Amino acid sequence: MNELKTENLSCKRGENVVLNNINFSIKSGETLVVKGRNGSGKTTLLRILSNFITSYDGKALFNDISILEDNLYNSKFNLIGQKNSLKENLSIKKNLELWDILFNEVLDHEKLLEHNNLHHFINRDAGSLSDGQKKCISLHRLNYKKYDLWFLDEPFVYLDEVNTHLLIEKINQFNENMGIVILTSNISLPKNFHKEINI
Amino acid sequence: MSNLIKRDLLLSFYSSANFFFTVSFFILVLILIPFAFGTQTDQLKNLFKGVVWIALALSIIITVDRIFNADYEDGNLDIIMQKNKTIEYLIISKYITHWFIYCLPLLVILPILSFLFYLDYSETIQIFINLFIGSFGMVFIANFVSALTLGARRTIFLKAIIMIPLFVPFIIFGSDAGSWPILLALSMLSFVISIYVTAYGLRLYGE
Repeated sequence: MNELKTENLSCKRGENVVLNNINFSIKSGETLVVKGRNGSGKTTLLRILSNFITSYDGKALFNDISILEDNLYNSKFNLIGQKNSLKENLSIKKNLELWDILFNEVLDHEKLLEHNNLHHFINRDAGSLSDGQKKCISLHRLNYKKYDLWFLDEPFVYLDEVNTHLLIEKINQFNENMGIVILTSNISLPKNFHKEINI
Repeated sequence: MSNLIKRDLLLSFYSSANFFFTVSFFILVLILIPFAFGTQTDQLKNLFKGVVWIALALSIIITVDRIFNADYEDGNLDIIMQKNKTIEYLIISKYITHWFIYCLPLLVILPILSFLFYLDYSETIQIFINLFIGSFGMVFIANFVSALTLGARRTIFLKAIIMIPLFVPFIIFGSDAGSWPILLALSMLSFVISIYVTAYGLRLYGE
């Protein structure tokens, strides 16, 4: 049973207070939706939880150990940011191959992309795809195994109805396998997840 | 660390135009010498020894955007930094791949070029040793400049303005035969400075 929680998390960027006293706790099998207006600090929160931002007040704890001190923590989460991480001048296939090396795991991409109906595009340049298709490919990184946490930054942006449902299904499945999901969203979602905070 | 090296090499292989461009750029800069200064053999020889360093400096400057910036702009740097907890290993693998992809081809082509400029065997060896050692130092400098200017997009001019003065010591000592110990010292010094500054730049990026 894993638990991720924050205690009075506050973060300043220059003079601006971006996050003010954020408290939440989330256990294995649960999904937390972080809501808030544009610029309210949702991405900052995810970047704190992924150890990219290290100077903040308060605590972020994973299984009661500070995430800054836990050496194994970095290999436990999978962060899908707003950028697609695709090389526009390379084909999707080559992009996925490069990810395989970085993630140290080889997936059967063609088969997995069939769900999103994207396997026809595997030899096309990433730059020639639409924003929605790029987002789908970007979310394809969730297929890499061995992660306990998923951090998804605005995962539903650009997605059509079918892909939105596929993603929700995927999140539910991950929850059933005792995974923790934190996702940000500034629009209302078609499904209610376990927990929700407003920042 | 080895994964990152493998990935960077594969990436440059897939976009191989990059590496061909650098070599052609290097050759073309050197070919400009006879056009600008005439074809007297003795003069060419001396000019070549100096201009080869300028060509190397320019070739490194045009590649500096590909070290961290390309990965930063498309978001791959997030993945790379997450997978490489020890940032120093990440930086060293970047040094290795950057040198391997962009400097090694230039060194391979160098003997052919120096033959075209009537340099004899021993002179070629001396230039080769100097360039081999000096290129490492220049790569270290390019890496930290790249890391420090991560947030600023499309700033190749800014980077060139920061880098060229730092390349000056290499160019001063580089054109003297037998000055490789000084170049080695310069390269080691820039390694020590570069690894700290690059790590600082990358941590700053995370913020």
